[in-house]
Amino acid sequence: MQRLTQFACIAALFWTGTALASDAVETGTGSKTPVPDSVRALPPPLPTQIRAADVPSDNGKAVVVTWLPDASTPSLVRYQVGVATNPSGPYYFGGEAPAAGPLVKDDPKIFGWSPANPDHQFLVVSSYMVPPATPEGNPERVELRPDQTYYLRFAVVGDSASAELAAPMSVTPRQNWIKLHKLNNLIFGLFFGVVILSFIEFARRNPNMFIRKIAGLDAVEEALGRATEMGKPVYFVHGLNSMGEVSAIASVNILGRVARRVAQFDTTLKVMNNDPIVLAVSQEVVREACIDVGRPDAYVPDNVMFVADRQFSYAAAVDGMMMRERPATVMLMGYFYAEALLFAETGNVVGAIQIAATDSYTQIPFFITTCDYTLIGEELYAASAYLAREPKLLGSLRGQDVGKAVLIAILTIGTALELAGIHWLTHLVAPL
Amino acid sequence: MIFFKRTLPLVIAFVMGIVAISIYYIPHQAAVDLNDLLSKWDRIIAAFAAFLGVYSLLYLHAGRLKRRQAGWGYSVFVYLGFVVMLTAAIYNNGAGPLVALRKGGAYDWLYTNVFVAADASMFAILSFFIASAAYRTFRARTTEATILLVAAVIVMLGRVPIGALLWESMPELQQWLMNVPNMAAKRGILLGVYLGAVATALRIIFGIERSYLGGDE
Amino acid sequence: MIQKLLNIDRRWIFLFIFVGVAAAMLFPLPLPIRPSSDVKNVYNTIESIKGKPNATVLLSFDYGPGSEPELQPTAISIIRQCFRNNIKVVGMALWPDAVGLAQAAFDSVSRAEGKEYGKDWTFLGYKTGSVTLILNMGEDFHGAFNVDYRGNKTSEMPVTQHIAKLGSFDYVVTLAAGKTIDGVWVTYAVDRYRIKLGGATTAVTSPDMFPYLQSGQLNGLVSGLAGAAEYETLVKTQGSATRGMQPQSAAHLIIIISIIIGNTMYFVQRRRDRRQSVSGNEETRS
Repeated sequence: MQRLTQFACIAALFWTGTALASDAVETGTGSKTPVPDSVRALPPPLPTQIRAADVPSDNGKAVVVTWLPDASTPSLVRYQVGVATNPSGPYYFGGEAPAAGPLVKDDPKIFGWSPANPDHQFLVVSSYMVPPATPEGNPERVELRPDQTYYLRFAVVGDSASAELAAPMSVTPRQNWIKLHKLNNLIFGLFFGVVILSFIEFARRNPNMFIRKIAGLDAVEEALGRATEMGKPVYFVHGLNSMGEVSAIASVNILGRVARRVAQFDTTLKVMNNDPIVLAVSQEVVREACIDVGRPDAYVPDNVMFVADRQFSYAAAVDGMMMRERPATVMLMGYFYAEALLFAETGNVVGAIQIAATDSYTQIPFFITTCDYTLIGEELYAASAYLAREPKLLGSLRGQDVGKAVLIAILTIGTALELAGIHWLTHLVAPL
Repeated sequence: MIFFKRTLPLVIAFVMGIVAISIYYIPHQAAVDLNDLLSKWDRIIAAFAAFLGVYSLLYLHAGRLKRRQAGWGYSVFVYLGFVVMLTAAIYNNGAGPLVALRKGGAYDWLYTNVFVAADASMFAILSFFIASAAYRTFRARTTEATILLVAAVIVMLGRVPIGALLWESMPELQQWLMNVPNMAAKRGILLGVYLGAVATALRIIFGIERSYLGGDE
Repeated sequence: MIQKLLNIDRRWIFLFIFVGVAAAMLFPLPLPIRPSSDVKNVYNTIESIKGKPNATVLLSFDYGPGSEPELQPTAISIIRQCFRNNIKVVGMALWPDAVGLAQAAFDSVSRAEGKEYGKDWTFLGYKTGSVTLILNMGEDFHGAFNVDYRGNKTSEMPVTQHIAKLGSFDYVVTLAAGKTIDGVWVTYAVDRYRIKLGGATTAVTSPDMFPYLQSGQLNGLVSGLAGAAEYETLVKTQGSATRGMQPQSAAHLIIIISIIIGNTMYFVQRRRDRRQSVSGNEETRS
C-alpha cells in the first residue's frame, strides 16, 4: 500500500512537472501524439542498464543518465528523470527525452568517439523544476550544484501508465579542470605555437631569411614618395574592427611603419578611425613614430581623428574628405564591410594610388578590382614583419608556412582516409 | 617611466593573453566566472572609450570651426546633429519633444526619417559604384580574369528571378558555384588568415611585436 | 570613339543604372520567384513547430538601417508566419540600431494579425556584450533578461514564462548584417547549447555562412533581398522584397550589359593595336 502511494505521488509529481515545464528539457521534447488504446492501458517496459554519471569536462552542474531502451518500447513514450537531494524525496522534474531520443554515439563530446555502449540513449540533467508554493506562483528552476549528491529516479511514462526504476541512483557532479574533448585543439595549438616560436628563435640566429615579394608592400615606399612629390596628404583608413581583433592590431602595426616614413618625408598623414580605442592607440603609435625618427614636430594630433563609429557615417565622412582634399595615397587597412567599395571607388575617382589590406573575405574582390595593390588575408598580418624586416618577425612568417604545410597534409591525408571509410584522422581533428 | 610605458603593458598583455587562452580549456566555474568578469571589464572600458571618441570628434570640429578651415560648414552640421539628437533623446524622459504629434516623439522621427534614410542611401550608392567598377575593371585580359568574369555573370544572373527566366538551371548553377569552388577558395584563404592571426597573437602575447605600444624597444 | 567608350565618364554609367532601376520600379514586370532549399529550410522548420503547445521562436535583430531593405522584409515575413500559425515570438537585438527596426516590424505585423503584446509576442530590447549575453541566456533566460523593453517582467509574461534558457526556444532565427552569426550565435549558442539556428543575412555576407550550412550548425539561410523575396513567396505576401526584385534584376542586367560592352570595346581596341604594331614592324623591316 505504502509502495503504491509512493508510486502515485511520484507519478503525480512527474505529471505536474511535465505540464509546467514541457519545454524546459535538456534533450528531446515530449510527444503529445495520441497513443493507441492498446498501448495506453499497459505500463511501458523499463529499459535496462540504466546508469547515472557525472558529465565529464564541465563545471560540475550536470549529470548524464544513460539506458538501453527495450526493443518493445512504444514509440510514443517519454523517459523522465526526477531529482532529489534526499533518497526519500521529494523528487522534482529534472528532464525528459523522447523514445527516439539522442544516442550515446551521437555525442562524442560527452562519451568520446568509441563509447562502450553506442546504442544507449542518454539525457543530460542540469537542473530541476520546483513547483510553486502557491497556485498563482511560478515554478522555480534550480541548477545542480557541484559536489552535492543527488538522487535520481528514472521512469518511462506513457499517456496513462508509467513504469519506474525501483531504487533511486545516486550521483555527484564534480567540477573539472580541463575540457578533455578540447585536448586535440590544445595540442594542435601548442604545436603551432612551438613551431612559430622556434622559427622566431631560429631567425634570430639566421637573420637572412627569404620572404617572397608582396607587391603591395613594396609599393608603399613608392606611394608615400608620390604623395610627397605632389604635396598631397596620405590617408590611412582603419577598418571597422575594434582593438580586440587581430586585424586592427595588424593595421596599427603597419601604421607605425608608415608613420615613420611619412615623418621622414615630411608629408601629411591623416589617420581615420572608427573606434575610440583604435584612435587612442593610433595617436600613440603615430606620435612615437615621429619621435623615433627625430621629428616630434611632424605629429599633428588633429590628423589622427575619430570620424564616426557608424559604418556609413564613417564612409560618408571619409569619402567627403577624400573628395575635398584629394589625397595622393590612400591605404585601406583592416577589416571592412560594405563600405569597402565606397572608399575604394572614391579613392579611384580622386586619382589616388590605393593600397588595400584586408582579411575580410567578402570585400577582397572589390579591393582587387578598384585598388592598385591588394594584400589578401594573412598578407595583412605579414605586412608588419615584411616592412620591418626584423628577423624575429620574419621567423614567425616561416612558422606560419610550416603550420600551413601541416594543415595541407592533414587535409589531403584525411580526405583520402575518409573516402576509404577510415575516420580516425577526422575524429582526431574534429572540433567538439 | 619606461616601466609604465613599456614593461607594464607587455606584462599585462602576456598575463591576460595566457589567462584568456586558458579559460577556453578550463570548464571549472572559477574560469567561467573569471571570463564573465573580464567581459564586464571589457564592456566598461568600451563605454569609457565611447566618451573618448565623442570628445575627440567634438574637439576636432571645434578647432575647425575656430580656424574657419576649409569645409568648416560640415563641422556645423556635426554639432547640429549631435545637439538635436541628444536633446530629442534626453528630453521628456527619452520620448523627446513633439510626442503628441508622433508616437516616440522627435527622436523616433529623426531616427526613421533622417538616420535610417541616410544610412540606406549610403548603402544604395554601392550599386552605382559596383556598376562603374565592373565596367572599368572586369576585362578578360587573362584566363583567370575571364573565369572570374564568367563566374560573376552567372552569380549575378542566378541571384535574381530573371536568371531563372533565361535558363531554368541558372539558380542551381549559381548555388553550386557559391557552394563548391567559392567555398574552397574561401576556406583556403581562411586557413591562412587564422594561422596568421595565431602567429600575430603569439607575437603580441610574448612581446615580440610591440608596435601597438607606439615604437619599438 | 572606342577609346572614349573605354574611358567613359562614370557618371554615364550611374545614369544608366538610375534609369534602368527607375524604369523597373515604375513599370514592373511580374517575375517568377522560386524559393531555394536554404530558404525553405527556415520556413519548414517554423511550420514544423506549429501546433506544439507554447511553441516559441526567438528572433534576433542584429542589423542596422543600412541593411534594412534586405533584412526587414525577412523579419516581417517570419513574424507573420509565426503569428498565422499561433507561434509565439520573442524579439531581441544585439545591435542598438536594430531596436527601432524591430519595434516597427512587430508593431506593423501584430496589428495586422491581431496579436497581443505580452501574450503572443514581446520585444526584449538591446543589451550590450553579445557573447556574455548569449552565455547568460544559455544558462538562465530570466536572469539575462529580467524585464522586456517595456519594463514588464519576463518571468510573469505568458509569452516568456515558460522559457527557462536559450534551449527552451523551439527555433532561433538571427537576422544579421555583421559577424554575429559566426562570431556569436554559432560559436556559443549552437556549439554550447545545441539550439536550432536559422539565419538571414545580407547578400554580401551570405557566402560566409555556407560552411555553417554545410556543417549543419545553421539549418537554413535567407540570403539578401532575393532570399527575402523567396520567403515572402512562401508566406504568400507581396512585400517590399518581392517588389524589389524587378529593380534588382534590372540593375544586374545593366551591369552585365556594361561588362559585355566594355569587354567588346577592349577586344576591338586590342585587335587594332596589334594590327598597328604588326604593320609598324613590317614597315621597319622593309
